[in-house]
Amino acid sequence: MSANLNKEDVLKELFNIGVGQAASTLSEIIDKKIVLKVPDVKILNLQEGKKELDAFLQNVAAGAVMVSSISFDRQLQGRISLVFPAEKMHRFIDLCLHEEHDTDAVMDFTDIDFDTIKEIGNILMNAIIGELSNNIHIPVEYTLPEVGILDNARAEAFVNEEAYHLVVLMYISFDIEGTEIEGAIVINMTLKSLDDVMDTIENWL
Amino acid sequence: MTSGLIKQFIPDAVQHFADDGLEGLEKYKEIKPDFMIIDLLMPKLRGQDLIEEVKKIDIDAKIIVLSADVQHKVREVIDKMGVLTFINKPLNEEKAKTIANLIRNDAQ
Repeated sequence: MSANLNKEDVLKELFNIGVGQAASTLSEIIDKKIVLKVPDVKILNLQEGKKELDAFLQNVAAGAVMVSSISFDRQLQGRISLVFPAEKMHRFIDLCLHEEHDTDAVMDFTDIDFDTIKEIGNILMNAIIGELSNNIHIPVEYTLPEVGILDNARAEAFVNEEAYHLVVLMYISFDIEGTEIEGAIVINMTLKSLDDVMDTIENWL
Repeated sequence: MTSGLIKQFIPDAVQHFADDGLEGLEKYKEIKPDFMIIDLLMPKLRGQDLIEEVKKIDIDAKIIVLSADVQHKVREVIDKMGVLTFINKPLNEEKAKTIANLIRNDAQ
């Protein structure tokens, strides 16, 4: 049991390193210091993952969420999504583009807004998955990033019951010059992928 | 954004754009640009496949890769394809300057 715990701790640490790398990259894009809080990395089975994610969507991200996703395959297979309250995204986009806009239409997003989130999401998700891939020496191949707004989103939107069996959930909260943004990183990967990662980690222990 | 940053350092450069890898290949054949800046993740034809196709036409084609992919293995593979350099996104002024210097020095 302790061996299992150790392996899980190592895996959590690997995800934490990836999130740290993503935050550092985001700081580079925004050119401002980012205070990042990652409370915990949770590795959950499908049912637990859906329950947790639904609670997050109801409590933190009630209303519309902006979701940026990318799938990965080859030796590791899954999908990673960044989920953030849509109402905070205009400020976030302005910070990324180094621009200032006043907008009353909180839920109106232009093609440039979506392209910005798609590109930034792509860079951040590549940092998280790429860092994991580098550490465990298992390559992945990405599909094109996608972005969208979901009203009253439920966990089913991020967790594919048929193809995947595991949910890695990371709640993140970052503060950029007084703007606090809370969100979640959801990684939905196959058990086979997790086994491959765990086998690699086991060889280290 | 990429275009604007590079233009800042090489204002006289003429730039052409493609929305996907396949269009990139068509434009390469049509324009035969002095340099290409290629993303690895593109619709219709992946960046890696585009590099391969371009290199089949001209082994000395000058290609700069700009990608969000941080995997060491991917970089190793792309480096072996004979590209000028591989730069990780996000593109900032410093990286744009590196690209501009590379282009300017090579053009001399």
